[in-house]
Parts: sequence; C-alpha cells; structure tokens
Amino acid sequence: MTKTISLLIITSALGATLVVGQNPTPLVNKAPAELIAVLQSQASHKDKADACRELAVVGNKDAIPALVSLLADEKLSHMARYALETMPDPASDAALRDALPRLKGRQLAGVITTLSVRRDAKSVAVVARFLTDGEPDVAQAAARALGSIGGSEAVKFLLAALPNVSSQNELAFAEGLFRCAEAELKAGRNSRAVAMYDALRQRPTKLHQVRAGALRGAIVARGKGDTALLRDSIASADYIVFAAAVRASFELPDVEVTRVLIDALPQLSADNQIVVLKSMGRRGDAAALPTLAEIAKTGQKQARLTAIQAMAEIGKPASVQALAAVLGDGDREIAQAAQESLASVPGPEVDQFVMEKLDGSSAADRMTGIELVGRRRMTSAFPALLKSATHTDAQVRRAAFRRLGELAQPAQLPGLLDLLVGAGNSGDLSAAEQTVTAVCARATPPESVAGRITERLGQAQPGNKSALLRVLASIGGSDALRALRSASKDSNTEVRAAAIRSLGSWKTLDAAPDLLDLARNAPDAADRAVALSSYIGLANNSDMPAEPRLAICRQAATLAQRAGDKKLLLGALGSVAAPESIPIIMPYLQDAATKEEASAAAVSVADALLKGPNAAGVAADLIEPLRKAAEMTSNADLSRRAKTVLKQAEAKAGK
Amino acid sequence: MAGGLAAVPCVIPASVLGRNGAVPPSEKIILGGIGIGGRGTGVLQWMMPEADVQFVAVCDPQKARREAVKRLVDNRYGNSDCKVYHDIREFLATRTDIDAVLSTTGDRWHALAAAWAMRSGKDIYSEKPSAMTIAEGRAVADTARRYSRIYQTGTQRLSEANFVFAIELAKSGRLGKVHTAYAHIAPWDAAEMRHDWLPGEPEPPKDEVDWDQWLGPCPWRPYNPQYTRGGWRGHYDFHTSCIGEWGAHTFAQAQAGLDMLDTSPVEYEYVNNPTGDGMVTRFANGAKMILSRGDKYWHGSCGMRFDGPEGWVSVADGYSRPEVSSPALLDEFNKIVGDYTTRTQRPMSHVRDLFNCIKSRRSTVANADVMHHTMSTVHAANICMWLKRNLKYDPVKEEFVNDAEANRLRARAMRAPYAF
Repeated sequence: MTKTISLLIITSALGATLVVGQNPTPLVNKAPAELIAVLQSQASHKDKADACRELAVVGNKDAIPALVSLLADEKLSHMARYALETMPDPASDAALRDALPRLKGRQLAGVITTLSVRRDAKSVAVVARFLTDGEPDVAQAAARALGSIGGSEAVKFLLAALPNVSSQNELAFAEGLFRCAEAELKAGRNSRAVAMYDALRQRPTKLHQVRAGALRGAIVARGKGDTALLRDSIASADYIVFAAAVRASFELPDVEVTRVLIDALPQLSADNQIVVLKSMGRRGDAAALPTLAEIAKTGQKQARLTAIQAMAEIGKPASVQALAAVLGDGDREIAQAAQESLASVPGPEVDQFVMEKLDGSSAADRMTGIELVGRRRMTSAFPALLKSATHTDAQVRRAAFRRLGELAQPAQLPGLLDLLVGAGNSGDLSAAEQTVTAVCARATPPESVAGRITERLGQAQPGNKSALLRVLASIGGSDALRALRSASKDSNTEVRAAAIRSLGSWKTLDAAPDLLDLARNAPDAADRAVALSSYIGLANNSDMPAEPRLAICRQAATLAQRAGDKKLLLGALGSVAAPESIPIIMPYLQDAATKEEASAAAVSVADALLKGPNAAGVAADLIEPLRKAAEMTSNADLSRRAKTVLKQAEAKAGK
Repeated sequence: MAGGLAAVPCVIPASVLGRNGAVPPSEKIILGGIGIGGRGTGVLQWMMPEADVQFVAVCDPQKARREAVKRLVDNRYGNSDCKVYHDIREFLATRTDIDAVLSTTGDRWHALAAAWAMRSGKDIYSEKPSAMTIAEGRAVADTARRYSRIYQTGTQRLSEANFVFAIELAKSGRLGKVHTAYAHIAPWDAAEMRHDWLPGEPEPPKDEVDWDQWLGPCPWRPYNPQYTRGGWRGHYDFHTSCIGEWGAHTFAQAQAGLDMLDTSPVEYEYVNNPTGDGMVTRFANGAKMILSRGDKYWHGSCGMRFDGPEGWVSVADGYSRPEVSSPALLDEFNKIVGDYTTRTQRPMSHVRDLFNCIKSRRSTVANADVMHHTMSTVHAANICMWLKRNLKYDPVKEEFVNDAEANRLRARAMRAPYAF
C-alpha cells in the first residue's frame, strides 16, 4: 500500500465534485457591429461593459469612435480602454492621444497607462506634459508610461524632471528610468543603460530598493568586462549595496565575477561571507572550488559548513579530496555535512573514493564507506560489502548487513546465504536473516527463490536453520510450506519450534491443517503447545474471510485446556465479526479464569455486528450475551461499554 | 524558539539598522501580510513558528479579515502589537521596516500586489496563481529582477519530498527520456467562465469593505457580499478557471519534471469539452504535457505523472510514497530526495526556502520567472479553450503565432490607479 486511507476520502470527494461550474458563457457572443450598436444605444452599464470586453478580442477600428466617447465616462472609461488597449489598429493610439486633454484623474491616468502598454512612441511628448501634474496618480502614470515607451526622448524628459520630483512621485520616476534602461540593455546598448542606472545610483535617495535596483542594473550592464563596481560593492559596508551586488552576481556567470567574489571574501564580515559563499554554490562555477576547500578546512564553523554545502552544489569531482579531508572532522556537524556533500557529488571519482574507504584499514573508514555506499546506492560495491560483513568489528558487520539488505538483488542471494549459514553469533545471524528476508522480498515473485533457501537447510546449524525457516515463512509458496512441514518434525527441538512458529506466521490459512495436526498429535508436549497457540494465531488474520477463521476457533476450542490458550482463543474470536462467534464465546463467561476476556470478546463482536449491514437481523440474539458480559466483568469500563452496546442492540431489536 | 507567550522575541527590525529590505543571515525577517483569509491564515501559521521571522502588520480591505489576523498574531506573540491597514498603497509606502510580505489575496490581486510590494522594496510570498494574464506574469518577473527582490509563489508541492522525488526521477533518465507528463486540473468549474454580475447590493462603509480596492485592477461591478466570501471563483474577471485552479500547481510540477521551467509549450490542441480535460500541449522538443481532470492517473489532488519508455511515476496529495512502474524505482527515494536537497540546498519546506533565499539573495524554487513560464501555459490553455481552436505559441516572443485574437487575450487593461 503506497497510499493512506485519507486518499480514499479524497478520491470519493473528487468523484462527487465532477460538476461544471455555474453559468459559464462564451467569451465572445456578438459580431463587432452588434457590439458597437450596444455602445451607441441606451443599453445598461452591464451590457456596455460586456460589449467592451468582447470588443477587446474582436473589435476593429470601426469601434474606436464609440469607445473613445466613453473615455471620460467615470463608469465606463476603464472598459473603453479595455477594448482599445488590445486593438491592433494604430488608429487606436491616435484616438487615445487625442483624448488626453479632456480627461482628468483616474480616467486620465488610465489612458496614459494604456498608451504605455501600447508602446505608442508618438505619445511621448504629450505624456511628458503630465510628469508635473498635481495629481500624483497622473504624474506617476506618466513617468511609468514614458519608461515603458522608452527611447531617448522619453529618457530626456524623465532625467530632466528627476531633480525636482516630489518624494511621493520619486519611485514612479525611478521605475520609468529602470524601464528605459532595460530596453536599452535588451537592445545591446549597454552604455546608455549604464548612464541611466548610474544617474539613479548616484542620486541621494531614501528608497533602498531604488539604490539596490540601480546598482544591480549598473553591474549587470557593465558585464564581465568591467567588474570594478561589483568589486567595490561586494566590499561595501552598506548591506543594501552588498546584498544587491550579490544578487547581481547571479546574473553574471563569468569566471571574472567568481574571482571578484573570491578576492572579496577575506575582508567580509561573518554574515557577508556566508552570503557570498552561498552565491558561489548557486553560481556553480568550479573556479570557486579551491577557495571553498580552503574555507572548509580553516574557516569559522558556519563558513565551513556553508563552503562544504557550496561544494556539493557545484557538484564537481574536483571537490572530493577537500570534502574527504573534513570527513573525519571533530565537529560532528561538519563531518556530517561533508558526508552528505560527498554522497551527492556525481561521478566515478567519488565512487572510487568510497570504495577505498570501504576497503580501509580502520573501522571508522569502513563505516564511512558503508554509509556513502548506501547514500549513493552503489550496487557495484556488493563484493566489498560482503567482505565488510565479516569484518572483525561488530558495528561494521551490522552496518554492512544493513546496506546489503538495501542494495543486494535476488541474484546475489548465494553470497548472502553463505553469510547467514556461516553466522556464528546471534547478532550476526539476526542481521543476516533480515538482509536475506529483504532481498527475497524483492524477487518477483518472492516464492521463486524458495529453492535457494531450502537447499541450504541441510548444511545449517540449528540456529541458522531456524533463521532460514523464518525467511521461508516470509516468502510463502508451496515449496516453502513443504519445507516448514518437514522441519516441524525435525529431530532438533529448536528447529521444530522455529518451524511451528513460522507456520503460525504464514500469510494464508494454508498452514492451518499442519498446525492443527501438530497441536493434536505432536509427540512433544511443548511442540503441541506452540502449535496450538500458532494455530489460534491464524484466526487473528483479519484479511481472511470469517468462516475459515471460525472453523479454526471451533477446532481450537476443543483443544484449549490452559487458561492462556483460552485467552488467545477469545482474543481471536473477538476479531471475527460473525454471529457464530457468540456461541463459542459464551461458555467462557462462566469461567473465572476467562470471564474478562470473554466479556471483551462478546462486546467487541456485538459492537461490530450492530454497525454492520444486518444489525437489525442479529440484534435480538445479542441482547442476552451482552447482559451476561456486563454482569460478569469486573472491569467498570468494559461493563459500561457492554451496557451501551446492549442499549443499541435493544433499540435495533425494537425492545 | 518558535515564539508563543513565553517567547516574545527581541526584534531589531532591519530598518533600525539602516538595512530595510535586506536581511543578513543572523537577523530576523520582519514580515507583513496582504489579504490574508482562510488559505493565507494557513500559510501564516506555517510561517510564524520559524524562529527568525516576526509578523508585524496586516493589510486588507475587509475589516473582519484584518482584525482576525491581528487577533491570531497578537495571541501568538502575547501582545497587541500587530498593526492593521486597509489601504495597500499606504501600507507598502509607510511600513519601510517590513522586509517581506505574505500576499494571499484573491487571484485578481496576486500579480499587482506582488509587483507593488517588490517595487516598495519588499520580498514576497505570493499565493498561486501568480498572475491572471501572460502580461501580468511578465510584469512580476521584470519587477523582481528590476529591484533585486526575492519572490516565491505558493506552489508548495515543489518543496515536498514525494513530488520532488517524482520530478527528479523524471529528470534523472531512470524512466528513459520522458515523453509525456500529465497534469491535474481542478475537478470542478469549467474552462469557460462566468461573465454575469451577481445582483448589486448597497456597498458597506469603506472601513468595513473597501469595494473599490477589493476589485483592484478588475472591471467595476456592483457590490455583492458573495464575492468577498469566495464567490469570485469562476468569474472571468477574478479567476483562471478549472485549468488555473490546479494547473497553477501542477503545470509547474510537470514542467519541472520535463526540465521545461524556462519555457512554455508551443502547441495547444483544443478539446471539445467544457473543461480542457485531455488537452495535449507540446513543447518545442516534442515532449507532451496532457491536462487531466479525473483520477485516471492518480488518486488525490494536484496529481502529476511522468511517462518514459522505461517506466512511469505518479503522485498526488495524500500519498505515503509515489506510485511507480517498478518497485525498484522507490529503492532510490531517499537518495534522490537527499541528493536534491544537498545539491540545491533547498529545504523540504516551501516557506523556509523563501526565508533562506531572503537571506542569501538566491532565487526561490518557485521564483517569478518559473511561475511566469508555467502560468503562461495555464493562460495559453485557457485561451485555447475560450477561442475553441488549436493555438501555437512562441515562448521566446511570448506571443501566439498568427492568431491576433489570442494575442489580444494576453493582457487586460487594468483599472486605474491599480496598474503596474
């Protein structure tokens, strides 16, 4: 199962919401001539607004007179622009320009903006007249519009007005100049862009974003050929300047810029160093690696960590030695960061390094190698891992087994089974068993590898053979079941017990007849006891249908003599939500040794049945058992619950 | 410390240090909010436990909403310091101490609020969809670059391990060269939109609901309280249809796995149904992204799937692990996600990615350029459905090929003074 139960709820919800929303209508419903007629009629505000919206898609110059007549209309001015702004015909520009003198306030600001969206070069002079308009919305719209339209004339107007601009309008004027500069930059006229950015940069202002934007533009426009400004700015004590310069460095991937960052590092504050080191990582220029390696070794802790992470981001094999050098650092955080970084750097150079670690003389080296093999999913390291699984250090052996369990494939089972069969202590045996179990689970189907396991049974010592039997139980299938059946009669006590318990963990009910036979007929009393409890355990499998589980319970009831077995049986019965469970439970209510478990089982079964589809049909038969359960239990909570369920039963039975 | 009554942080706003708008790694980020309602409250509660973040003020044209946020924030910090504003321009112009804003308005305001905030020198987390039109997306991307601002859209699955795994698996070549991505569109509403007005009602006092500002750049229409309670969805002026509702997430996810975050599909095939379900879009390299409305390819919301010649991977909300064509592909789950986080230094927390980037000045995972390209796909798909014909799009010129009407739908005139 890869999904949670909540998924079912979501899926149901999706199924229920496959409904198309209310009242959708086509985007365009009328021909242009009809739309114009609406505008010229006494139609409602809504109808005229709709007509404008449709004209924005299909309108032509025939619509211009009707639209222009609405530009001064407080309610419809915006919608008239809505249609005019997207109209390809240049006659729209002239009409908008001509309308400017008779507009004011929002309507005027709106038309200026529309002219800027249309990039109407002919409107520069007329729009520039509004740069000094007393209405801030208008003056600001004009400044931004000139920026969008661009060109040398627009720039002249903006620069001329800039010295006297009010603080309220200052940002809009800067915006206008930024837009002009960007157009120049896009056209490859970098020197013109530099002039504008410098004009903004050198002008005293409280607007930090203008300073940052102007500096960024000035650095980017200068490019890799002129890094002096970047160099000065990275070294600046003003954090606004510094941060803007770093941001600009992302737009310049050249090695010259990397060198500026490298040169600046020693003089920077601790905070600023971190920011520059991070920028080196994101920029990805391998030219920064030697510097990062040096800082990873000798810097302050936070800088070291950041440098290590930056090397991982650059992701070049050249950083292997530097990262390796700090792998064994005394500071665990540093060592961990180095390990994670090494794990993520691609390439055979790192793989080779990992293999050397894995073959290392010290346990610490091997542990590092094993960890990296796992993180890098190096399946090629299988032989080396096998070797580590027999290392003298127990920690190394266990770690190697874990990795083998994650990485080995079914074809590699023979080597793993050699280890399992040869394991000499319980720790190694348990680790080997888990590894083999995990690898078998990856076989398709898992039963296909049963033969590989069974062929080892004959040569294994009792403890190891028991482990093999548990593996067989985990993979299932007829071959495995046969092997368990045979082992349940093994001459060795430990093996027999393991086989019987493994039969009890069988995923289907196929093992039930074997267990019942053992519970009845096994020569050894201990085996009979284990077989009975394992047999009862099968009835707990709620993935199986109720009827065969009830059959197991009925058989078990005839065999269960000890209180412990009876309690196990009642536990299983409590999970079988069938009316037939109740008669099996009832006798145990009279027994002082089992009355609590019997009460709980009866309540549990009754509760489940009353929530089921046939509640009304079974309710009457549940009343007496529930009364008895409530009466017999000395657990107050259980008694209360029994009475609650009893009331439900009475209600459903109509009593 | 994550805050709380006993942990009122000693905050030195960056502005006090003369650094407003720029936060060194060792300092706190001063955060403000714009238009925080239900979804926004969720994001805010995700942000506030971050130890280096302090929320100080909220702006909303609706009094009830701004007051609710104030109560929430004050309760968390154990004081009454959170300030409220109803006018966004005043808020942005006067609160120069605020380094970053969380903007979770309705869709109609996302792009403009983001551009205005960044122009005011603030970094921003803006909810999806990032823009209502292609032109709005371009304006946001340009503004972020212009003012050196950090921008993140709330496409949070780009920072969730299951989705990252699927994306990285698709990019890794383990599925072969991925030829098709499937992207989930919302299973409600239509691609076609409403153009009606709800019945007009008297406008409340401006302090209660500033209707003009609520509408913002959109065409005027009479007040009706349903709009302010979420009833704006499905209306052409306010929403991006069933395609944008989830496509704002899933197209970014799909394009990430196809390694197409710096472009948009060049072809859109009209499908004759109300929703766009099954629309095939193609990128210049031939890879396809197919819109899918139901649960054929996944079980859950905002699903995506990648198909290659050697396998497939599929994931949606609610999965404990992605579904894959071969269980062996999941063996590498931890390696793939671990390598991604190490190689990119991006945390599996979308808000933390923003805060880290505010301090490092690096771009976020859902930055303005990424969102412009992927939302352009949403807009082009919508336009394809609205015009009921196949379209070709040039993602470099950002214009449709030989289709004047489609090009006219790339932008909508904005109502003054609510313009870029």
